Amino acid sequence: MSEFEAYRGLFVAESRENHENLVRNLLLLEEGTYENTIDEIFRSLHTLKGASASMGFSTMEHLCHTMEDVFSLIRNGSAEISSDLINLLLACSDLIEQMLDDIESGGDSSQIQTGEQVTALKQWFTDQSNPSQDGTNGMEDSPVVQSNDDSPEKTGAQNGEESRPQYDMRITVAADCQMKDVRAMLVLENLDSLGTILSVHPSREAIDEGKFDGQLRLSIASDAGEEALRTAASGSEIATIEIKSAAQEEEPVPEESVDAPKTVEAEKKQTATADKTREIKNLRVDIHQLDHIMNLVEDLVINRGRLKQIADQHRIKEMDEAIAMVDRSVSELQNQMMIIRMIPLNHIFNRLPRVVRDVAQYDNKEVEFVMEGGETELDRSVMDGLNDPLLHLIRNAVNHGIESPEERKRAGKPQKGFVKISAYRDRDNVIIQLSDDGAGINVNRVKAKAIEKGLITPEAAETFTTDQAIDLLFQPGFSTADKISDISGRGVGLDVVKKAIEALKGTIRVETTQGQGSRFELLLPPTMAIVDVMIVKINGKRLGIPISSIVEVANFQRNATHRIGKGEAILLRNEVIQILWLTELVGESEHCEILIVVQYQKRKCCIPVDIVEGKQEVVVKPLSSFIGNTRGVSGVTILGDGTVVPVLDVNTLV
Amino acid sequence: MGKILIVDDTLFMRTLLKNVLFNGGHTVVGEAVDGEDGVAKYKELKPDLVTMDIVMPKQNGIEALKMIKAFDPAAKIVMCTAVGQEQMVKLAIKSGAKGYIIKPFQAPKVLEEIKNVLSA
Repeated sequence: MSEFEAYRGLFVAESRENHENLVRNLLLLEEGTYENTIDEIFRSLHTLKGASASMGFSTMEHLCHTMEDVFSLIRNGSAEISSDLINLLLACSDLIEQMLDDIESGGDSSQIQTGEQVTALKQWFTDQSNPSQDGTNGMEDSPVVQSNDDSPEKTGAQNGEESRPQYDMRITVAADCQMKDVRAMLVLENLDSLGTILSVHPSREAIDEGKFDGQLRLSIASDAGEEALRTAASGSEIATIEIKSAAQEEEPVPEESVDAPKTVEAEKKQTATADKTREIKNLRVDIHQLDHIMNLVEDLVINRGRLKQIADQHRIKEMDEAIAMVDRSVSELQNQMMIIRMIPLNHIFNRLPRVVRDVAQYDNKEVEFVMEGGETELDRSVMDGLNDPLLHLIRNAVNHGIESPEERKRAGKPQKGFVKISAYRDRDNVIIQLSDDGAGINVNRVKAKAIEKGLITPEAAETFTTDQAIDLLFQPGFSTADKISDISGRGVGLDVVKKAIEALKGTIRVETTQGQGSRFELLLPPTMAIVDVMIVKINGKRLGIPISSIVEVANFQRNATHRIGKGEAILLRNEVIQILWLTELVGESEHCEILIVVQYQKRKCCIPVDIVEGKQEVVVKPLSSFIGNTRGVSGVTILGDGTVVPVLDVNTLV
Repeated sequence: MGKILIVDDTLFMRTLLKNVLFNGGHTVVGEAVDGEDGVAKYKELKPDLVTMDIVMPKQNGIEALKMIKAFDPAAKIVMCTAVGQEQMVKLAIKSGAKGYIIKPFQAPKVLEEIKNVLSA
């Protein structure tokens, strides 16, 4: 085992891919897609089996082997696929996932109880194979492929063979050989090339069927000579070869062992290094290593800023040039790191069909699920945070969105509900849309629930717009489901989803039409770590505002402001925009001369600042680890001169 | 000592096999990830020997074997197999495979088979 320790990570990573492929294809199979599906399942199982056997994880190997046996029956058409079988196979694939988790954390998969499922598979196997087959085939050697033998056995002397010398041979395959019949066939094929095999015992058909006990007797007509025949017959795992000319009827040739142990150690030479540089085009890297490199790049970005400032202060021209070069390299490095860290959304998407299926089955609903744009890439850190919210939304869509088949029928809709998730890149953002053609959100029920929960007063409810009412869904402690289900319940509501998305610097939006369905739209930054910010100063203190949310920078004319209720607004190009004083954050300033207009979704507001210092690419470090989330601030950044500057989170400010 | 092309769809198996072969003094001149890739790399690299997995996407090992044999009848191809796949290997042997190795790989057995096939 220990010699394979180095391969554990690789084993887990690749096996997870195969596991995903397995689940995906099992679901396709359930839908009735047979083409390629069974082959794909077979291949994944086969690979999982082979790899786990190599690593010595026998529990996993055994499970995969049993599943593979079941599929060999399906593949050669001697068994039908039922939904019970699919359920059983999915349960088995869940076990594989558990095993992989176990192996990843240092185990060997033997802790996972597989007895029940394996017994069920074997039961199924015997049920299926008994009526149709003769029962002699055990699970181990169910026929996989019909061999079409295109080299019919040559029996008896054929024309001209009498003129060639004939030999009788007796060949014994080594006792520890694992596939004696295959070895025998290899010997026959090799001898075929030297002459004509006149007779052979056991027959080729018997060997083909696996009926071979370890010894091969044959006579061959050949001009090649005894030595050549001996060489052709010898090879790995051949214990003895006896050969005699058919003419001579003397005592048998003494047995000769050709299985001399060929010392492998003697061949260990380092000749291979010269060509080793070829061909390695991809490699796998531990994600922690990437994180570490990313941290170093971030440090480099900060220090680059510092160098720039020093050069500016001292006006050293030579240094300016050098920094410009460093600048270019650092930017490129940063870009490359970003690209390396991007992974396709399929990492999450691939799990979703299974989730939809399980929820639909649990609720007795029929759902067609479509995924698009899984190739869209996101930074790994964003991906990590996205998994749970997406699963939750998907569960919601099926559990709360899609109606029961009867209800749908009554509403004149197709019996089968439709859920679609799609992702695409839109300029600087990645947009994920999840839509269903279910009942939509019942605004009145939402309001009633909010009143009942004490979130709003009945009077306020009257004045609420649809959008405002939908916003209530995202309030902590709100859940419209009449009963808590095992599936989408779990004690988290949409407020948790919203928080998770906001933690990723993303936003969530809902559109709904009662009776026709809902659409959740997530807008996410593809990467979180490095952002373009505008550095501004208010009351002598610096702040960063993400460029992506700035729509305009204007002169601030004090006399153009108006009081509206508690707040203050300004008329800018015929548009009334609320003014957002950051007094709480940086104190009062009398010298605000510039207005930064920021926008979040359709809402705009403007922040008065003293001066704009410039634009800079900065690394935003999250606050959460030491002071928790602060409304309005997404994190801090360290500027070149070492000052710590808060970066505004416009989404929560507006 | 030979120049060897490994054809296997899993990085895991390729890595295992590559190390076994390297420790046995062989040179792995290339790795292919499926049958199609294997045929293309064979034509490009002209290796002394190919280790060919059987169950692979796009083109399985048997099909790839036939393609390589059609291109170069003298090609030496060793099938990578597992217990339970006897029929497949027999089919491969009838199509011209010169040897087989069984997963899980045992380094001495793998090296012996490779050596025997190379010297044949």
